[in-house]
Formats: sequence, C-alpha cells, structure tokens
Amino acid sequence: MNARPIPVPNDTTAPFWAAAGDHVLTLARCSNCSALTLPPEPVCGHCGSTDREITFEPVDGAGVIRSWTVVRQSFLPGFDDDVPFVLVDVELDAAEDVRLIGRFLDGIDAPLALGLAVDLAWEDLNDDVALPAFRLRP
Amino acid sequence: MTRSFRARNEVAIVGYAHSKIERRSDRTLGAITVDTTRAAIADAGLSVDQIDGFVGSALFPTAGDHLIIDGVSTVSPNWLARSLGVNPRYAAGFSGMGQIPGSVALAVNAIAGGAADHVVLHRALHNPKGRYHGSSRASFGGEQQWTAPQGYFGPLAMIALPTTEYLERYGATREGLAAIAVEARKNGSRIPWSFWHDRPLAAETYLDAEPMFDPICQYDCDIPVDGVATFVFTSAERARDLPHRPVHVSGYATGAPTRSRMPLHWPLDDIMDGGRETARRLWAAVGVGSDEVDLPQLYDGFSPFIWFWLESLGFCEPGEAHRFIADGGIDSDRPDGLPVLSGGGALGNGRMHGIPQMLESYLQLAGRAGDRQRDANVALACHASPHLGGAVVYTNDPG
Ligand SMILES: [Zn+2]
Repeated sequence: MNARPIPVPNDTTAPFWAAAGDHVLTLARCSNCSALTLPPEPVCGHCGSTDREITFEPVDGAGVIRSWTVVRQSFLPGFDDDVPFVLVDVELDAAEDVRLIGRFLDGIDAPLALGLAVDLAWEDLNDDVALPAFRLRP
Repeated sequence: MTRSFRARNEVAIVGYAHSKIERRSDRTLGAITVDTTRAAIADAGLSVDQIDGFVGSALFPTAGDHLIIDGVSTVSPNWLARSLGVNPRYAAGFSGMGQIPGSVALAVNAIAGGAADHVVLHRALHNPKGRYHGSSRASFGGEQQWTAPQGYFGPLAMIALPTTEYLERYGATREGLAAIAVEARKNGSRIPWSFWHDRPLAAETYLDAEPMFDPICQYDCDIPVDGVATFVFTSAERARDLPHRPVHVSGYATGAPTRSRMPLHWPLDDIMDGGRETARRLWAAVGVGSDEVDLPQLYDGFSPFIWFWLESLGFCEPGEAHRFIADGGIDSDRPDGLPVLSGGGALGNGRMHGIPQMLESYLQLAGRAGDRQRDANVALACHASPHLGGAVVYTNDPG
C-alpha cells in the first residue's frame, strides 16, 4: 500500500516541521513588524519587509471552525483507508486571520458548525513527521 | 481609483469558430486548434496573412501528474502562430486567473494601441488519459507542503470549503446546487456542439449522487473535454467592412489576490470581498450597471460560482442568490428570468473554461444564435472566481 505524501521542508520552513515533529505548533514571526503568519512569504504581507528574520514561535493551537468538507474520494496516494474523513478550516485564536487546514479527528459524524471551538491535536505520519490536526473542544 | 475604459467599444469580435466538444478526441489538440482557427479567420472574412496578433492562455488546469506539451496537451499563442506560418507583430499569453477575460484584455489593448490590426484569441483544452486531478506524488515541497499531506488537494477541496460556508451561513442546500446544474444542462442539451447535447440532467440524478468533497458532487463540476474555440478581433472601424455584425468590447475587469492564504484556500469572505471590487472596477470601466445587462453569462466551472457571481455583481443581495434561483430567477425559458446560463456554461458544455460565456455573448449579440436567438444588446461574460477571475462587457450597440 502507498504511504501518504509527506511534507518536504525547505531552509525557511525546516524549523516549523522540526517543532511539529515534537507536537509543537509554531507560526512565523516577522522580525520587522512582529506579525505572525503561516505560510511564511518571501515578502512580509503585513509590513512589506524583504529583509527580515523569520523565527518560528510556539503558539497555542486553539481556534474556531470557519469551514469544513468531508473527503470521500482522494486524488492522492495513501488515503484509501482513511476516506471518508473531515478537513476543517480553522482560524487560530493566536493570530488574527491566520488559518490552518487540518484533519478533524472526531470522525465524520461529529456535529460541526461554523464558529465551533477546536483544540489542536496531531496526526503522526511517521516517527518524525506530524501534521497539525483538530478536535472539538470538550 | 478606477477610470472608464478609454478604448470602450473601439475593438470588436468579428468572427469565431468552435470545434466539437468531445470527451477524448482522436485528433491532436494542436491540429484541432489550427483547423478551428483557420475556420474562425475565414468566418471573419479575413485571410491568415492578415492576422498579426495572437493571444490566449495556455494553462492546463490540472492538479495531477500530466505532462504539459505545447501543441499536444495545451496550445500557446506562439505555437499557434508558428503552426499557421505567421510571424505576428504581437503575441502574448495571459498567465493570471480568469484566462478568457485576461486574454480579451490583451487582444483589445493590442488593437487599441496599434500593436496589431487583426488578433486571434484561442483557447484549447485537453482531457488527458488517466484521472484528471490524480497524483501519485509521495511528497510535497513548496506551498503544497502546508496542505497536501493533510489530504487538502485539488480544486474540489478548494471549492468545497466556501460552499460549506455559504450553505451554513445562508441556509442553502444541495437542492440549491442541483438547480444550477439542472439549468446549465438544460441549456447545454440544446447546443449541438456541446458534450451534453440532448442530455439534460434531472434533479433526482443530482441528489442521488454521493458528494466527493461534501457538499460538492460530480454534477457540480464541469466534465474534462477536448475542445477548441477561436475568436477574431479587429478595430470597430475595420469591423464595418466585414461580413458579420460586430460585437464590441465595452470594457473588462479582473480581480487580484488580497491576502496571503494556504494554496487553494478560498474563504467565502475573500471571494465576496474580492468579487465586489472586481464588479466595482467593471461597472466603472464600462459605464453601465448590472441593471443594463441583458445577458449576464456567469461562470459555472463549479456550480456555487453562480451564487458568488450573482451576489458579487449585484444581481442579488448577499446570501439571497440561492433563493432567487429557487424562485426561477435564472430560468432562461422564463421571460422574466435572468439568462445567466443560457449558453449552457461549463456545466452544460464541458470544461471549456470561460469560452461558453464568451461564445453565448458573441452569438446572441451578433444575431447568430439560430433557434436560441434572444433579444439582447449588452452581455457580460465571466470567468473563474469573482475574486481572482474577471469579466468582460460586450455590446452590439456602441452608440
Ligand atoms: Zn512584517
């Protein structure tokens, strides 16, 4: 059976994935204006700086659901045993307008609604690679 | 600040040709494109040696692993010019979203600016062997490192998220999406070159289909096809001496990304905020408003785009488009219906990108729609999403 595709870090994003492997969510902080973003861009979307340090800083992964979809057919390898599964679009409480898309781990029958609070969870793809995911806040 | 378009109505479409739309053609895409373009030039009453401009978009809109080969799986303006034996004064490809409005803008600006006299605009779309969006990649770098490992991949996932938002916010349902697909296929079934000719869609068929990415099912998506369309543009002055009634370009507008997002992440608010700006630019450029458009041809590569365009352009209040449609508001057979899918759209023709909208605008305004002829003087043709795509306004009455 095919494995699911894994993320390939680059020089900029390697710290994010290293922290994720330890189940720590980080966002990119701009050294010029302090804004938190993900993904990090070559030019800061907040201050326009092209010459800045990006540091990945741990944040709380709580947020609210902005949308979702139930994936019943995947176009990628490795998901055949996973479908159907839910992906949620989550706006993080930690930074304005920063949104992550991750697996929702409470199953396809959990009641979903716009604005519901979720907490961060993790999906381990292998011993080193983990992806941010979410569960309903108890 | 947005100004009115200085070249308003100075450039016109004077001819066209359209290939058959087939699921998979037994001919090479490049050969179909050359044949279609020769036919369009002849239709305009011109000869190939008079064409000195070539524009278009060569985007092959697949998320999958398919090879992109000019002349085979896509056709660029330069490839087409060379294959017709022309060394054009002007050749340009549009690389943004809203490939048809973007390409129309290139044609109009080239002619109005004197860079070319007679410009060919073509679009050639190909359905490759294998799954259109299928990928076998074991890893993703670049921007997709943030989304593909989770399984967020391809345009169905992209459109599913804002559609869920719309359903939840405004109480719309799958029945509301079905009504759009049924209207598109009804009109497409009457079009001889359509892949769906004589094959309307029943709402029950739609509702029986299991979604692929909830709430999006196969009938919300245009079907991949092999097909080509070509249009010929020239100045309004030269158009007077050509055989067909010219259809003038009054103006155009395209959207632009406003915020950095994850790849393929289109929150509903981004679509609608950007769409209202696209509409504001459009009405300022052309000097008319939505109430002066007889024939708004809205883009429907995914059915919920009809909601988003109706509301962005001001035909409906935010959140009201699904009710407007449920009340028969877009039934093109009703005298009071807004005929937004009278040309069948992408859902009723096949994945021809913005061509069905542009073609219906042209045919109706040129008086060349045959049995389907309507009384119209101002048409609008959209393509792609309201926040990243664009729209063109046409008229046969330039005043
Ligand atoms: Zn900054």
